[in-house]
Amino acid sequence: MTSLDIAFLATGAITVAAALLAVTTRHLVHSALWLVLALGGLAGCYLVLGAELVALVQVLVYVGAVVVLVIFAMMLTRAPIGPSPDHSTSRLHRLLAAVLGAGVTALLLAVLLPLGGEVVARTPVSTTGIAEDIFGTWVWPFEALSLLLLIALIGAFAVSRLTRPAGEVRR
Amino acid sequence: MIHPALPYAVAAALIGIGTYGILARRNAVLVLIGVELVLGGAGLLLVTAGALGGDRWSSGNVLTLFVITIAAAEVVLALAVIVAVFRARGHIDITAPADPGANGGGS
Amino acid sequence: MTGPHYLQIALVVLAAGAPLILLAGLASRRIASGLAQLGALAAATCGVASLFAGHGAQALPVLRIYPPGTSDLTGVDFPGHVATDPVIATIAVTVLAVVLAVQVYAGWYLRDDDRQPAFQATVSLFAAAMLLLVISRDLILTLVGWEVMGWCSYLLIGHWSRKATARRAAYKAFLVTRLADVGFVIGVVALIAVAGTSDIDALNRDVVSWLTSCSPAGGCGRGAVDFAMTALIIGVLGKSAQIPFQDWLIDAMEGPTPASALIHAATMVAAGTWVLSQLTPVLRVGLEGTSVASWVLALAVVATMVYAAFCAFFQTDVKRVLAWSTISQVAVMLSPLAVAPGAESGSAAATGHLFSHAIFKALLFLTVGWLAVLAGSTAARDLDGIGADSGLARGVWGLGLISLAGVPLTVGGISKEHVIDVASWAEDGGAHLQQGIVTVALLFTVALTAAYATRAYEIVAGRRSTAEPDADGAAQAVFTPAEGHEHGDAGPLVKAVLIVLAIATLAGGLAFLGPLDPGHVNVGLLALSVALIAVGVLVGWYLRPDDALPPSRLMTLASNGFGADTAYRQLVAVPVLALARLVAFLDREVVETYVRGAGWGSGLAGWAAEWPHRRERVATNLVWVAIGLLAIAGVALWG
Repeated sequence: MTSLDIAFLATGAITVAAALLAVTTRHLVHSALWLVLALGGLAGCYLVLGAELVALVQVLVYVGAVVVLVIFAMMLTRAPIGPSPDHSTSRLHRLLAAVLGAGVTALLLAVLLPLGGEVVARTPVSTTGIAEDIFGTWVWPFEALSLLLLIALIGAFAVSRLTRPAGEVRR
Repeated sequence: MIHPALPYAVAAALIGIGTYGILARRNAVLVLIGVELVLGGAGLLLVTAGALGGDRWSSGNVLTLFVITIAAAEVVLALAVIVAVFRARGHIDITAPADPGANGGGS
Repeated sequence: MTGPHYLQIALVVLAAGAPLILLAGLASRRIASGLAQLGALAAATCGVASLFAGHGAQALPVLRIYPPGTSDLTGVDFPGHVATDPVIATIAVTVLAVVLAVQVYAGWYLRDDDRQPAFQATVSLFAAAMLLLVISRDLILTLVGWEVMGWCSYLLIGHWSRKATARRAAYKAFLVTRLADVGFVIGVVALIAVAGTSDIDALNRDVVSWLTSCSPAGGCGRGAVDFAMTALIIGVLGKSAQIPFQDWLIDAMEGPTPASALIHAATMVAAGTWVLSQLTPVLRVGLEGTSVASWVLALAVVATMVYAAFCAFFQTDVKRVLAWSTISQVAVMLSPLAVAPGAESGSAAATGHLFSHAIFKALLFLTVGWLAVLAGSTAARDLDGIGADSGLARGVWGLGLISLAGVPLTVGGISKEHVIDVASWAEDGGAHLQQGIVTVALLFTVALTAAYATRAYEIVAGRRSTAEPDADGAAQAVFTPAEGHEHGDAGPLVKAVLIVLAIATLAGGLAFLGPLDPGHVNVGLLALSVALIAVGVLVGWYLRPDDALPPSRLMTLASNGFGADTAYRQLVAVPVLALARLVAFLDREVVETYVRGAGWGSGLAGWAAEWPHRRERVATNLVWVAIGLLAIAGVALWG
């Protein structure tokens, strides 16, 4: 048990706990807030693993942008305030979902745990090195991503215009 | 020095929890939260793999950045779709029966 | 320049003239009409030149693009020759002269018709087709001319296409002749296949030598030749409106009178005679008298000439009298081909009658067209006495009818004597029964022709009878004056045309001293036919129906062709339509059932496949996706 192990245990525990709460809470808005905590915890995990840049981007993009968008969407779709059982599916369905989620976890653990038995030293990655690699080796995927973002932007505009006439909004 | 088993376990747990979130929620926005958790788990796996050495082009870190970017784009579009669906149907409940007339399918 | 050259120029002038006339018609009807008349005049000049130029044969220049001769593809010889000899040139000149007369006449007759250019262009093309048929020495060229004429006759008969009756007449003419043309095409193809060449002279020579060289006891492909000639004769009977195809020509009176003159006088109906006369060596020498082909021809013409002459006597419409007389006269024309002792005499007699018939029938039609414009109708009761005060009308009408009746020394008389002489040859051998039937029928027809000619003359020239015509009489007027036909009397040019044609009915006999020389005169037969004509005139005078009275039952029946139209419909149209309905029914209900069955099957499968998804929910589907992914991953890892 190294110090890093302990640090990771802490952040990992927070992440998993927050994630669990995010998918089980009966409050719609709480779900988003728990997501903030889970993603923040994930950023902590990145830090522990020595990936400072990724951790910062995670905080910036996810916590700063994505979660805000999610909350906006909740508001735009008239999310009710307060606990409601309507946010989750039926009991049987949830049981099935839990079995499937556990199955996924078990499958991944069965694959991954045999690989992570012994203690290894983490390889520090410098931000400079990442920058050189992004604008060297990965420059074309990077440019393609910029295009993807542009397309997503235009797509969002286009989709938001695909609305029916006002008379048909409520049925 | 670190045990890679710990981040692996966390990643596996996040992906499993995300799957549960996707399957157990009725509200489309909450389904999206499940998707974000799955993506986070995947990112953690990548970063872990990068931190364990043998990473020639910083691909663990760079690909995680890319995944985050793509996730952002995906969220934008997904939320746009959700809002559009809400405007069209008045709800975003994914357990509601599909509307055969709305997409032209069926007869 | 030899004869074929001149006639080819005429051919090009007429054929190329047709589109030019149409184009000119866009600018002015008068220019178009003038162009048509000029073209006909040029062609007629070329025709006269060909009479006096050297005769010979040559390949049609158009066909020289591909070297004429044996084609590697078919193994059939196709020289594509056109030729002239004195007889061909004479007939060509006759055709071109009639076309000139018709074009000049149509320039006046259709002056107020907005589709006059189309009419005159069609006449020009029609004339080109007939000219090609006359000068062709190749069955394939003959077929081309034959088919183009069929199409043009459809256009001409249906010229007044705003009239429902004209449209129906055109359809009828087209369908009836087309039906018979099936036989013609089969006959031509079979002949070419048997002989291996489409050249008429080579074909005659080869087939005759081949049939005469082998044993007379049949075999040797005699049956094939007989079949081919029979099929060809069926086509000829259709085009020449012989029984059982006679009725289309009567309805064709719906066309403008110049078109009738053209079709009846020198082209369409006479074309069959010409084609058959070119093939007499095969028919008369090769097949030696008693073939199926000659029996079919003989029986058809015997029935037709008597029946048509009989019908002509009882018509209530003068134009229909002439139509029936054409049918009867074409049968007379064809009769020597059926029974002549040798190739030359048969074809000479037929050609001679073709020549004289062209002249006097053109004269008669153009005269009746003129008189009909004056009277406003072609019905006998309306034409009654129309020419009583006009010497010209009485003169030209009378001369035409005298020639029609076959009075000696007129052009019709000379050729008819020749026909009877050839048909009743008394030398040894040959088909006595056939000859006897044909001769008797010919003599009977002579009397009947004289009778209806007498009646026709009396209608026009006789004084109007005292009985007032009642308004609702059943007289059938084929021609009712189209709007704009009030331009009264014909111009001097038209009258000149009539006078020239009238003179030709007398002077045309001179042609029989030249290329159409019948050889000798049978004085006994001549005396017999004069006696018969006298009897016919007397019978016609005393038995002629009074046109002022409502027509008798017999006349109504005769005017309807004794129900031939109904017979066509019941015997041909109704079964064909029933068959078509049966086929359509089978196609719709049986064949299409398979197709529809495939459709139903797909629809059913689609419904079955769609059914489980009808009430599907996104959440459920997500579960299925997750299960599937998990299964795939598990199989991939441990499978």
